[in-house]
Amino acid sequence: MNRTAAITVTSVVSLLFAVFFLYPAFSVIGEAFRLPDGSFTFAFVGDVFRNPVYREGLWNALALGVVSTLVTFLIAFPLSLLSHRYEFTGRTALGVMILIPLVLPPFVGAIGIKHMLGVEGSLNALLIDLGLMSAGQPVDWLANGRFWGIVAMNALHLYPILYMNITAALSNLDPAMEQAAENLGCPPARRLWRVTLPLAMPGIFAGSAIVFVWAFTELGVPLVFDYTRVAPVQVFDGIKDLTGNPAPYALVAIILVISALVFGITKALFGRQTSGSQPRPKGRGGEVKLTGLKSLGCAMIFGGVFLLASLPHLGVVLLSLSDDWYQTVLPVALTFQHFTDALGDPFVVPSIQNSLFYASGATLIDLVLGIAIAWVIVRSTIKGRALLDALVMLPLAVPGLVLAFGYLALSQEGRPLHFLIGDNGNPAMLLIVAYAVRRLPYVVRSAVAGLQQSNPALEEAARSLGAGWFRTLRKVSLPLIGANLAAGGILAFAFAMLEVSDSLILAQQTEHYPITKTIYMLLSSLGNGHELAAALGVWAMVFLGIAITGAAVLAGKRGGLFRV
Amino acid sequence: MRRVLPILLLLVAVIAAPILLRRSSDLAKIGQGDDQLVIITPHNETIRSEFGEAFARHWKDKTGRTLNIGWRIPGGTSDIARVLESSFKAADEINKPGVGIDVFFGGGEPDFNKQAEKGRFVALEVFKTHPEWFAAEVIPAKFTGENYYDADHLWVGVCLSQMGICFNRDAIERLGVLPPRRWADLGNPAYAGYLALADPTKSGSVARMFELMIQEQMQLAIRDNGDTPEAREEGWKNGLNLLQRLAANARYFTDSASKVPHDVAQGDAAAGTCIDFYGRSFAEKLGKRGPSRLVWTPPHGGTSISVDPVAILRGAPNEAIAQEFVSFCLSREGQLLWNLKVGSPGGPRETSPRRLPVRRDLYTNDVLKMFSDPDALPYERGGGFEYRRELTGPAFKALAQIFRAMCIDPHQEMTGAWEEMRERQSPAATMEDTAAGQAFFDVSHLSYDRLMNELVPLVSKKDPLATMRAMSGISATFRANYQEAASLARKGGQP
Repeated sequence: MNRTAAITVTSVVSLLFAVFFLYPAFSVIGEAFRLPDGSFTFAFVGDVFRNPVYREGLWNALALGVVSTLVTFLIAFPLSLLSHRYEFTGRTALGVMILIPLVLPPFVGAIGIKHMLGVEGSLNALLIDLGLMSAGQPVDWLANGRFWGIVAMNALHLYPILYMNITAALSNLDPAMEQAAENLGCPPARRLWRVTLPLAMPGIFAGSAIVFVWAFTELGVPLVFDYTRVAPVQVFDGIKDLTGNPAPYALVAIILVISALVFGITKALFGRQTSGSQPRPKGRGGEVKLTGLKSLGCAMIFGGVFLLASLPHLGVVLLSLSDDWYQTVLPVALTFQHFTDALGDPFVVPSIQNSLFYASGATLIDLVLGIAIAWVIVRSTIKGRALLDALVMLPLAVPGLVLAFGYLALSQEGRPLHFLIGDNGNPAMLLIVAYAVRRLPYVVRSAVAGLQQSNPALEEAARSLGAGWFRTLRKVSLPLIGANLAAGGILAFAFAMLEVSDSLILAQQTEHYPITKTIYMLLSSLGNGHELAAALGVWAMVFLGIAITGAAVLAGKRGGLFRV
Repeated sequence: MRRVLPILLLLVAVIAAPILLRRSSDLAKIGQGDDQLVIITPHNETIRSEFGEAFARHWKDKTGRTLNIGWRIPGGTSDIARVLESSFKAADEINKPGVGIDVFFGGGEPDFNKQAEKGRFVALEVFKTHPEWFAAEVIPAKFTGENYYDADHLWVGVCLSQMGICFNRDAIERLGVLPPRRWADLGNPAYAGYLALADPTKSGSVARMFELMIQEQMQLAIRDNGDTPEAREEGWKNGLNLLQRLAANARYFTDSASKVPHDVAQGDAAAGTCIDFYGRSFAEKLGKRGPSRLVWTPPHGGTSISVDPVAILRGAPNEAIAQEFVSFCLSREGQLLWNLKVGSPGGPRETSPRRLPVRRDLYTNDVLKMFSDPDALPYERGGGFEYRRELTGPAFKALAQIFRAMCIDPHQEMTGAWEEMRERQSPAATMEDTAAGQAFFDVSHLSYDRLMNELVPLVSKKDPLATMRAMSGISATFRANYQEAASLARKGGQP
């Protein structure tokens, strides 16, 4: 890459990043470094480290992050490998179906799971019906499960991120490499360890980095289990505390530093460019067509993961249809009334339009910026690009509320970001920027993985044959990383549609609400709020499900990610 | 295209569903009314929609103009405080009088006092236009020790709320306890892990509830021994110990008002602290097929009846309409909306908010028979306990922080010790008498004297670092106490 172009892109991106992420985030976190007289201090950070409760919270968060990433990998890697190596019954449909965790709406997903695992929930009712548990002494899964329960929920929610990234990486592999190893007498396990795994490492690293930071800073799942001694929950509790204690902001600063450190260290160990000069795959020669029991076995593995991962969704669907659901496996009485009530709310239609607009805008920005950043990170040689790489991961590690409060303060009249607020207080631009910043890492990681695997010689050939940079990008580079971009884009869009913190705090007027805030609004209806929210949640699930399938069908044609 | 077409058709069908099901509304179409009113509120959707529709209708009848109400709902009261803080700070910097919001509707007296202290409210005209509403037999200035309107007329209460106990019949039967009637009943170790508590650090009203539990113990000690420093110390210690028992049983501390009754209804918790109207509406919802499994009950003693106020923010862009809204809320029409049954004349359209009107003169037989909760009778049944501000009022801000240091931060150690003590002690002995219990309930380092003379001045100094260190110290002592109690319980073994 041209050095001047690299420096220009880096400067523009860094500036945007500084204005729209670092400035709002640190305007809030800065409270942890200021004494009432305005002087700078590290005292709060020091006190956080001295407080055993916070220390333990950080260790627990770190342990949850590492273990969740490992378990997620154990689910995602075999799935990607199976879908890469073998053709089996229903592979296409199952490959899309196991992305189901991407469409789980917030709040109500947690409520769905609680109806399943609660003391008087479905699971216990089933065990009591089967005579495996005494009705007088039901097991309190949520209170006793804690660490491993959270790990399981994290893994079942996050594996699509890793699965999509690894699948994209594998689809870029040249089967000739594996065939060569096989021909030279390499046994399958060794081939996997020495050839496939290293070649797929960019995708594995891209997905794992996101999964780790996500699980390390995850708030919702520990809250379902009422597990409070974990740093993100301590931050959340502290921020909402009316006393205005700065400790949570100090904790956020520490979480940010740990996230960046872990990212930097693992990148140095695993994230190096391993296969930049490998040729592009020539056909799909490595695929084995399975029949009979083997084919069924593969389908059952995918089906099993799908079933497990869709339990919260099932909970939400049943709740949306239930009149009452208590001490029974299924709701006692079913009704469609909640759907009529929830979808009939006058605010639902505008909120759907808003969410689509905000999420598409954010995804578009992320794709443009993500490709530019990835380009600098992989193709340029300028100093500081590793720093840029670590920096763009940070939005994942900043708690949503912190960033939301930062945007809120800075977008008031007379403040620097006020220009993002439109006529009549329309926060569309602000929300698009907020969504885009938080979802940028998905696209950057996917694009970096794609570029690391695609051969720069192809781009150089295009340039030397007279193609301009834009034509090279359009005709050569982008098609080569299409699968990766589709993966990143789908993740960014789905998670933007389901965003919570910014939506709750920044969308202040009903006409600007995104769908998540409308779900939140319905949740507070007296009596049947949970059921109404579940009904709208089901609608959002179906909509996102269809949208992602559509994207997969389109992307699959070009990229090979879904091989439809 | 052939592949994409079915997906497109499906998408169209999914998007069409809410468009076809859309309900009509008396409120002007979003952004299109002749007039506009902006209200920031923690009230639930039921209240927002009923009051929004009713006031828009009232405004149209009175002026012939359509009204669009812009609800601002950033979350609970702590989020509202944050939004107001940040908006007013920015507005002050550029010398703008207001923040584009007219009315602050709902919350608790502490939340409103905080904003009033910062000069963010304007005087309410309803005190001049309807002085008759502020007679003692209509809206009393004070009841059960709680203020019902501001002395400077900056806010006024519009409906009543009372913290009570909700419990699940099946669950308490399973745990083998009697239905709870007093706060102290919830301290029974049988509830361990099955008590749902609201979090006093995130809501002023909840903090007040915990303050009242301590007050009740102090008033009992003062009643028995006279108002001496020793009696106050003893009452304070008993109050803290009661909070410790409750917290040790707690499954969690939540800032969501609806989570507690929901979890109790689902049996995830056996009992919990809950605001009256949530308890009543859950009980009604679950009572459709036979007696409700969730029961809400006001605790005997140790609870007051407070108000949810309304106020107008300074620099309100639509102050005249805002003043009218406040008058509407206190008028007979607005007051009845809080509790009339759906379908009764002047009643709510879809769901009754199940709250109790503040106006005492409306609790008459002819009106009560149309009420959803004719038996609540707050003014008749609310007596018996009088909040005494001088006992704990000055310590209000410090109390929430103390509760955090004593119960929330070391909760893991606390519940661990409680579990050990529960398992290993004989049923005949009281927890407090065992060696482990003495370590667990030791609050000697946090005397009433230290509270009033050291912690209250410290917290009011607004030095976050000093406060944080003092609270960390208190928390560390409690944590050590709980660890000690657990180890003593283990050593003690079974009697």
